[in-house]
Amino acid sequence: MSVRAVEEAALDWVWAHRDDFALGDDALAADGQVNRTWKPLGELTQVCASVSRCTPPGDPLHTRVSELLDFAWRQTRQGELFLLMQSLEPFATYPLEVYAAFASAGLRHPGYEASAAVVARTRGWRLTEQYPTRRLGVLEAERRSGLQPHGAVPPALDRTWLGGLPEPWTFERAAGYALTHVVFHLTDWGRDPRGVPADLADYLLHWLPPWLDTCLDARMYDLSCELLAVAASLPRPPEPAVLADAWQRVAAARSGSGAIPEEGAAQDAAGPDPGPDPYAFTDCYHSTLMAAFAAALTTAATAPPAAVRHAAPRTGQHAGQGAPR
Amino acid sequence: MEQSSTSALLQGTVLDLASDVVSALRSGDHVRAGSTLTGGGAGEGVARAAVRVLGADTLLPSLLLGVPPEPGQLAVFKDAVAAHPPRADAAPTVVWSHWAMTRALRRTGPPLDGPLAGGPGAEPDARWLDGASWQFLTHQLAVLAPLALPGEECAVTRVARGRPVDVARGFVRAVRRRDWQQAAGAGRWLTLLDGVPDTLGLEAGLDFVRLMGGSDPRVALQLEAARLMPAVVLR
Repeated sequence: MSVRAVEEAALDWVWAHRDDFALGDDALAADGQVNRTWKPLGELTQVCASVSRCTPPGDPLHTRVSELLDFAWRQTRQGELFLLMQSLEPFATYPLEVYAAFASAGLRHPGYEASAAVVARTRGWRLTEQYPTRRLGVLEAERRSGLQPHGAVPPALDRTWLGGLPEPWTFERAAGYALTHVVFHLTDWGRDPRGVPADLADYLLHWLPPWLDTCLDARMYDLSCELLAVAASLPRPPEPAVLADAWQRVAAARSGSGAIPEEGAAQDAAGPDPGPDPYAFTDCYHSTLMAAFAAALTTAATAPPAAVRHAAPRTGQHAGQGAPR
Repeated sequence: MEQSSTSALLQGTVLDLASDVVSALRSGDHVRAGSTLTGGGAGEGVARAAVRVLGADTLLPSLLLGVPPEPGQLAVFKDAVAAHPPRADAAPTVVWSHWAMTRALRRTGPPLDGPLAGGPGAEPDARWLDGASWQFLTHQLAVLAPLALPGEECAVTRVARGRPVDVARGFVRAVRRRDWQQAAGAGRWLTLLDGVPDTLGLEAGLDFVRLMGGSDPRVALQLEAARLMPAVVLR
């Protein structure tokens, strides 16, 4: 099994199901279900932006995600819909968070950015009540969209679960999703491993192995793939054996069409003899995207010599077991 | 049917015996502990088998608190050691558990006689742990928690000392899996190891294991050991 094979299969599934990411009429409805419309499209865009960055232009995967990015951008009518969304919900942060994914792929709409800057200058915007992890995400979205971030990253980081370096045995699902997103925001979705402070990097190198192992035992594939993406976003990767074991288990969860189910419950529902494409879109789209994302980062991070990444400045030598103290 | 009732009896005896040890560790005095081995409640064979399961930890109060073992207990313990030497093809944990029991006898009892009197049993090797995954390592160490003693020097403790982060990972895994016995055993080892990451929060972790799993006397035994060990120097 190669990580690359997981990535290719996952993107095959995404390509085959791209129409399910399309924005329907409800995307701009007053009572629209953001989680079923803009969220999947934004996630598709973010993953494609990352895969595009991790693959050279001649690579078929690069071509494929470029086409998917064009597809996604067309859904927003080349960004025009962000202006419409803003007129409907001017102080909602999610439009900017989704837009930031496009902006990071170079797909920008100057008119929307100018409008967003006006809103982001208000005290009301700065005081939006939200989870610490989300707060970090909004700061990052502002930066990526060319806006002046409304606050500094370190205090926002300190308020997150991960930022406080909690006892690793208190890890549970919600904490796991919070911590993966903290790392995604700190590293610009894997682009810059130096965004992870040294103490966080050590902490993650210590504790990712038991988190990955237990999440995979519980067949929480979606969170496992996010953790693998985190592992590939660090200044130094975890031990190869940890990654090899986890990727092998993720690969074993693939359906014939390349989809990765979010959780084991979807596998159980599919029965002992599932067809090649057994999962509903909502049961697998996110985990399949995360598998492609994590695989792209892993492949780039472990690519021979012309390593794309650079270790953060640190002292001490890695003793071969866990992170240095 | 007979077999399952025997195994239920053994399991109950192991728990009773573990409770005795916990009481002794808490009170600091084995006399005030229960008397599973000497009260005549369990048959001789079951008592010996229960001692084999609990291993050297049966004598832990004597080892950690320095009080001589109660003679009746010691007699059953000696019988258990003498009657069941590990077979040639026994698993490494069985061989090591036996070695630890012999070691405990030498440390706590009067000079040995009979079949146990020969020179110190050759120390088994720990090659089966070479290159072990952190998951397997932690599991095996938890099974061999009776070897986790202050100042103990053997091949297994040397392996554990070389892999503090891996044992800490195993602790996290065991807590996540709600495997309180493994968590408590790993936690006991961790109290002895240098180089455990501070972020583990071992003290709070042991309290958490006690809160969630401490009603099982086998778990409580490991936690009591972990509590006492930092202050103890073995003879």
